[in-house]
Amino acid sequence: MGNKISVKKLALLSILILFFLPAVLSSSTGERPIKYFLQVELQPETQMLQAKEKISWTNLSHDYVPDLQLHLYWNAFKNELSTVAKESKTEGLFKRYQVRKDEWGWIKITSMTTSDGRDLVPAASFISPDEPFNPDDQTVLRVVLPEPLAPSESITLNLEFQAKVPRNGLRAGYYQDGFFISQWFPKPGVYEEGKGWNCHQYHLNSEFFADFADFEVKITVPEKFVVGACGEEVEKTIEPKSKKVTHTYVAQNIHDFAWTASPRFLKIERLFKAQEEIAPQEYRQVAAMLDLSPEEIKLPDVRMILLIEKQHKNQIDRHFRALKAAIKYYGLWYGPYPYRTITMVDPPFRTGSGGMEYPTLFTAGTSVLLDKDVLSPEGVIIHEFGHNYWYGMVANNEFEEAWLDEGINTYSTGKAVAAAYGPGKLPLRFNGLPLTWFINVPAVYDWQTDRLLSGTVAKLDPIVNYSWKFYNSGSYGLNVYQRASTALNTLERLVGQKTMAKIMRTYQQRFRFRHPKTEDFIQVAKEISGKNLDWFFQEFFYSTKDFDYGISSVKSEEKDNKVSGIIDSWPNKNTTYQPQKNKEQKIKKYETTITLRRYGEARVSPEEKLKLKVEFENGEVEWREWDGQSRWARFTFEKTAPIKSAVLDPEHIWLVDSNITNNSYISSGPGLKILATTSNLIWLIENLLWTIGNLL
Amino acid sequence: MRIRYYLKLGFKTGIKKFKLVIYLWLIVLILAMLAAAPLNYLLRINISHLFIEKPPFMPFELHLAEIFIANQNFFSPYFYFLFFLFLLVILFSIFLNAGLFSRLITSESRITFSEFLADGSYYFGKFFLATLIYLPFFILLFTLFRLLALPVDIFTEKAVSEWPMVIGSNLKILLFILLWTVFKLIFDLVRIVMIFESKKVLPALEQTFSFLKKHFFSLWGLYLILGLIFVVFSAIFLIVGRLLSSSQLFSLIITILLTQAIVIFRIFARTVFIGLEYCYYKENKI
Repeated sequence: MGNKISVKKLALLSILILFFLPAVLSSSTGERPIKYFLQVELQPETQMLQAKEKISWTNLSHDYVPDLQLHLYWNAFKNELSTVAKESKTEGLFKRYQVRKDEWGWIKITSMTTSDGRDLVPAASFISPDEPFNPDDQTVLRVVLPEPLAPSESITLNLEFQAKVPRNGLRAGYYQDGFFISQWFPKPGVYEEGKGWNCHQYHLNSEFFADFADFEVKITVPEKFVVGACGEEVEKTIEPKSKKVTHTYVAQNIHDFAWTASPRFLKIERLFKAQEEIAPQEYRQVAAMLDLSPEEIKLPDVRMILLIEKQHKNQIDRHFRALKAAIKYYGLWYGPYPYRTITMVDPPFRTGSGGMEYPTLFTAGTSVLLDKDVLSPEGVIIHEFGHNYWYGMVANNEFEEAWLDEGINTYSTGKAVAAAYGPGKLPLRFNGLPLTWFINVPAVYDWQTDRLLSGTVAKLDPIVNYSWKFYNSGSYGLNVYQRASTALNTLERLVGQKTMAKIMRTYQQRFRFRHPKTEDFIQVAKEISGKNLDWFFQEFFYSTKDFDYGISSVKSEEKDNKVSGIIDSWPNKNTTYQPQKNKEQKIKKYETTITLRRYGEARVSPEEKLKLKVEFENGEVEWREWDGQSRWARFTFEKTAPIKSAVLDPEHIWLVDSNITNNSYISSGPGLKILATTSNLIWLIENLLWTIGNLL
Repeated sequence: MRIRYYLKLGFKTGIKKFKLVIYLWLIVLILAMLAAAPLNYLLRINISHLFIEKPPFMPFELHLAEIFIANQNFFSPYFYFLFFLFLLVILFSIFLNAGLFSRLITSESRITFSEFLADGSYYFGKFFLATLIYLPFFILLFTLFRLLALPVDIFTEKAVSEWPMVIGSNLKILLFILLWTVFKLIFDLVRIVMIFESKKVLPALEQTFSFLKKHFFSLWGLYLILGLIFVVFSAIFLIVGRLLSSSQLFSLIITILLTQAIVIFRIFARTVFIGLEYCYYKENKI
């Protein structure tokens, strides 16, 4: 009996394993559904790419898949009819992308066959998956397969394509003989079981989404070019006749491949030696915070490659120092960087490709004149490297939930920059010159500027939103980066630094080489913190409510014991009135009334009460709590001294508060600062008036 | 030797009639205070009771930015107010310039506020007309600037590094300043001729051009040298200003005095410019 049951169980288990294996493999063990083999030649004179591509795609779902959907991103720059061009027209003065004649970019598939030679070109057509429908957009190509692809089956496509590099294609571009080539090859979307292809057209504000894959890429360029690319260079062959060089790169388990070529690059390699960069004490501190052993968080060495424009060669050390800090802190906090190389590119001049992430490669961007106290390019280097964690490994859908990489990475960048450098001066520039050379500019932490900026867009859009559905580029950027980062910093203060560190590490480790969604992050946050945080995400991520609590008024007056009216002598047990008997007994009493208000629509959870700290002139301190649900609350204190100060949220937990300036009261405020600000203003206006007056 | 001589004359005129500088400074200060009053009110409403911890939770400047963001509705009408104020200032400055030029040129060494105002009223019409006549020259100035900046634009357009752009854009600013000094030199001289020779606008303009045929480069050279001295002194003022902190009362008072000294110095520099030009014209006119 027992044996029979075991056999049955075993059979059932085998069926279950067979049934769920593809999905399990794809999501947890990180089996890659795609393999790419690409051969590309750059023709710099015509800014053309001639390429061959072999895509092997395996159906890891249980669906029968009737088609393939491929991104052809560069067609966004083909004409004025693309979705990117149309969306750009609705932007205001500061357009992210400007349609310019003679600077078009495009991609054209000249041949597409299956491995058995069947021509798929006739079965291909452009589609517009997103609303509003744009029949003229050519950034998504649907290819109907000769027969639906069964679960676990693979298909291999052989393509030949030509592409014209856009002059300034948002993130790819060229200028003279400098090229940055990204989103350049036909790339399948992500097939989601039961839902079909997730393959959005290219939008002005959107970034990307793709499946993990293995790449082998051969890049042929004239020999004067210095080349950098994702992955590792394994071969370099020179063809003396044509004076061309072919660089071969391989990369495993990444979901995009970008490369760059310019004769003005300097290529420098250095090694991140973990043993030299991280002291045992640091390992112990971080391990204690994460409840892990120091051995569990040990970091490997990483080969760092820098491609820097010759004009910036005096900044080589500055670049490497920032990269080392990024590898160190991201590695310690979220887990080791798993690839052997990282390529940091100071993008070719005027290619518009700076500050962008690709797996194992990123672009930074700098200027010839820098102030040492302004953390630029450091901030962008740390941020873009950080995307290897948030986007690269934890590969959320940037079209649909961009905050998951941009917001989390902005939060992480702020922490890493603060740990490595402390606060940095604001990067104000004029005409290529740092203004910090001439005027006093405050040094700030990222979280401080993030919270300031995030308040401006809270009412426009929720953080969790499709990237093309934001009010405009500004709302997209500020919500997805700064507001999300501010919300995460608030979460950190709410659950505690240690718990937050564990949330972030768990989320990274659990979803490495997978495609998590916002719910996954929320689930991890709830699980690790042991708190119901649904309200938090509902209020700050899914809604457009402004969060602003403040002190509305403070009144502190000497209490007069004289009472008007008829006070009879009939005994009253609970009376508070005590007539004064003689002068000696007279002690001054002050009644202080503080009114708090909820100016915004957003609310704290009733469990997470707002704290009010009140200090009196005699040194007494009182704390009160308010659940923050009603529109206002009033607290009254009777003390022997008047109020000195009152601070709402004195522990500064609620960074999401869009106006912290109304959170406090002090009897004698910053008069000197107001005077200084006013006198500066007057001086500025005097100069302006005198200048205007002298124009004529 | 001649350079020092004329510079000395210019400075002498400025110093001798320093009262004018004080009048102008007070007028500008009052106007600036008027313009800044709403902002001061906003500051007092929002942060007169702000509790700043030690160390501060965030730099004070960010609190200012926060007030700006939180009170965006206030700023729209305020900017209109500023715009109209500045329009008025342009008109008013014609009046002030009339008073300034006239009192600087007059041989009387005693200056009174009422005479200054009286001269402003007396010459206002002529100065207003002169201003209208300058407008086409403004267009000419910008056209000339665009033309002269063209080689710089071509140079930077094909650049393969940022250096040519930084150099080019700063060169363009310098070029504009140089052209501007020419423009100012010419039209200051027109106004001097208008008063000194009691001429109408167009004859004054004609005489100015005929005078400058011979004396342009000497006068422009003097103008530039004086400009350079002004720039050097301004830089010194700014460097000293940067070293002062506004967190201590004493230091703040010094800062306020210094900033007002800069404004006075700017106005004084203007009187020296006019004084120099006037002296040069007086001594070299045919």
